[in-house]
Amino acid sequence: MLVEKKITKPAPLAGGEARKAFRWLAVLAAFRAWLFLAILLAAFELWARVAYGGTFVFNPLNVKSIALFTVTPLLLALGQTFVIISGGIDLSVGFTMGLSAVVTAHVYNWAAQSGNSGLSLVVAVAAGLGIAVVPGLINGLLIADLRVPPFIGTLGMYGVARGVAFLLAKGTTVPVQGGLMGAIGNGETLGFPNLVLLTIAIILVMHYLLSHTRYGQHIYAIGGNVNAALRAGINVRNATIALYILSALSAGCAGIFYTAKFSAGAAQAGEPVLLDSIAAVVIGGASLFGGSGTIIGTIIGALIVAVIQYGLVFVNVEPFWQFVAVGVVIIISVLVDQIQKGARK
Amino acid sequence: MKRWINTVAVVVTLGLVALSPIKLALAAGNKYTIALIPGLTTDPFYITMHKGAQAAAQALGVDLVFQGAPEFNPVTQVPVLNAVTARHPSAILIAPTDKVQLVAPLKTASEAGIPVITVDTFIGNGHYQTGTGDADFPLCYVASDNVLGGEIAARALAKAIGDKGKVYVSNVKPGISTTDQREQGFKEEMKKHSSITVLETQFNDDDANKAASQFQSVLARNPDLAGVFGANLFSAMGASNGAKQAHSTGKVKVVAFDAPASIVPELKAGNVDIAIAQHPAEIGYFGVVAAYAHLAGQSVPPLIGTGFTVIDKGNVDDPNVKRFIYSD
Repeated sequence: MLVEKKITKPAPLAGGEARKAFRWLAVLAAFRAWLFLAILLAAFELWARVAYGGTFVFNPLNVKSIALFTVTPLLLALGQTFVIISGGIDLSVGFTMGLSAVVTAHVYNWAAQSGNSGLSLVVAVAAGLGIAVVPGLINGLLIADLRVPPFIGTLGMYGVARGVAFLLAKGTTVPVQGGLMGAIGNGETLGFPNLVLLTIAIILVMHYLLSHTRYGQHIYAIGGNVNAALRAGINVRNATIALYILSALSAGCAGIFYTAKFSAGAAQAGEPVLLDSIAAVVIGGASLFGGSGTIIGTIIGALIVAVIQYGLVFVNVEPFWQFVAVGVVIIISVLVDQIQKGARK
Repeated sequence: MKRWINTVAVVVTLGLVALSPIKLALAAGNKYTIALIPGLTTDPFYITMHKGAQAAAQALGVDLVFQGAPEFNPVTQVPVLNAVTARHPSAILIAPTDKVQLVAPLKTASEAGIPVITVDTFIGNGHYQTGTGDADFPLCYVASDNVLGGEIAARALAKAIGDKGKVYVSNVKPGISTTDQREQGFKEEMKKHSSITVLETQFNDDDANKAASQFQSVLARNPDLAGVFGANLFSAMGASNGAKQAHSTGKVKVVAFDAPASIVPELKAGNVDIAIAQHPAEIGYFGVVAAYAHLAGQSVPPLIGTGFTVIDKGNVDDPNVKRFIYSD
């Protein structure tokens, strides 16, 4: 119990006369992700009203579509948030997701031969999560025990998971036979898409883990100063291994959801999403140098990326501007982060 | 089914062999090695092409080498090509991943005396042996006519939506010769349908999730959207899932280009209305045959066009149609 609760939460706003001039900036910076999201939504709403006399935010299809679209990058980003807070990075999540998607599809098809589709689903989900643990565990061991830098270790695992996923899928997509998987993946409960509800449940677990448990505090401590964490008696090795397993499990969920949504597992499912997910974490306020970041920030970050991409299609902007827009938001986010640090000094 | 195709392939080829001077080369004991470099190794389209090529290789008694990169990208394809060139095969069949960037490395192979045939995609403008430009050296281009494929898709979609309404193309990314041509053919054909409006093309980076979200965004803006043309598998998968989530399956018609095995349940469930199948096995088969013919001293046409099959719910179980579903 050496580490006091909340001690490692994002730094409180700086006080003191000399820093007063920057104070408003710091406040702004602390809420920059929320601010961005609000400005974006307002801008698209205005654009839609002026240009087309329609609404953007109040169109239920838009809200639902954006929520669904956010699911995959957000799931990759949730685990990534833990890793980035610890000062690491996990580049392998895209293909861990693909591996999980393919295994889930195969196992579901295999188990469905028994005729019990409910049981097949349970077995398939367990297999999808189980296989995800493998790259996560290897990442953790490489980084914690063999001192491989996270960037390199997970880059290697990116290749391995990719190769294995494609081998298992025989280079193609693996269609899921039988309707239960697709019915859940595309179904709704009380008007909310199941995948969104499940994602909210995962968010709650992740949020609890990060901000209400000692493990979460250890992660901040490791990212803040690993030597201090060691001196404080934190088992950095085990915490690090657990981190990468958590990140892989989060990606595994994304893979299972992919298979449920498209009734097919694809090895390349997560590949295009990796950078969007890292962008979400960074826009959400986490520092790539470790020690700061929150789950709520990551959610806002993922929503920002999704709203930009969805909104620009909605207002009918030339597609390539999407890349530019997301890039600009990342740069602004990091700039604000730097200014904030300057204000604190 | 696979055995059936092989049998037909063998029978057809035996027929060809029996009737042609190719037999002489066989008798002379020449054992050729033909290398096939796909656009990417992890795609049912190229895997099916490989099977067609294998059937021809077996029938003609040549060795077939299949080597490629796991993604559709010249940066990863060129080293594979260079490695294959270094082993000096009798001929190279390749699906170039870029119209321009593959010209120089292929020229090196050609100048080393290895005949080059492009399959599925092309370099330069796809017109070879014309004596103009620096990319006319390949012997032959064996492929589906993708512009025609786009036109066929447009006609099928126009028919499905009663020849009126708004449609758009869901595409991968610009710069890929085949998907660009499908879009081009689709748009050209749609110009003849005056009551159909073609909206801005959406590029999804081969991400089905993104394609689904784009579909919903376009639909939210255009509630009267009538149809979408998915220019490749993930584009179509995404569009059909977008329709499912927006409860507009059936209302918005989805045409998919390409027909891997995963398209069958989608067609049957009505999520995808029409699939345009290319004949990749045919491309692989005739690619090897063309290479062999050249090696045996025969002249080869600069362009071999292969066919398409339009698949829908009604004919998907017909054995004559089913055999064009790409196998894995």
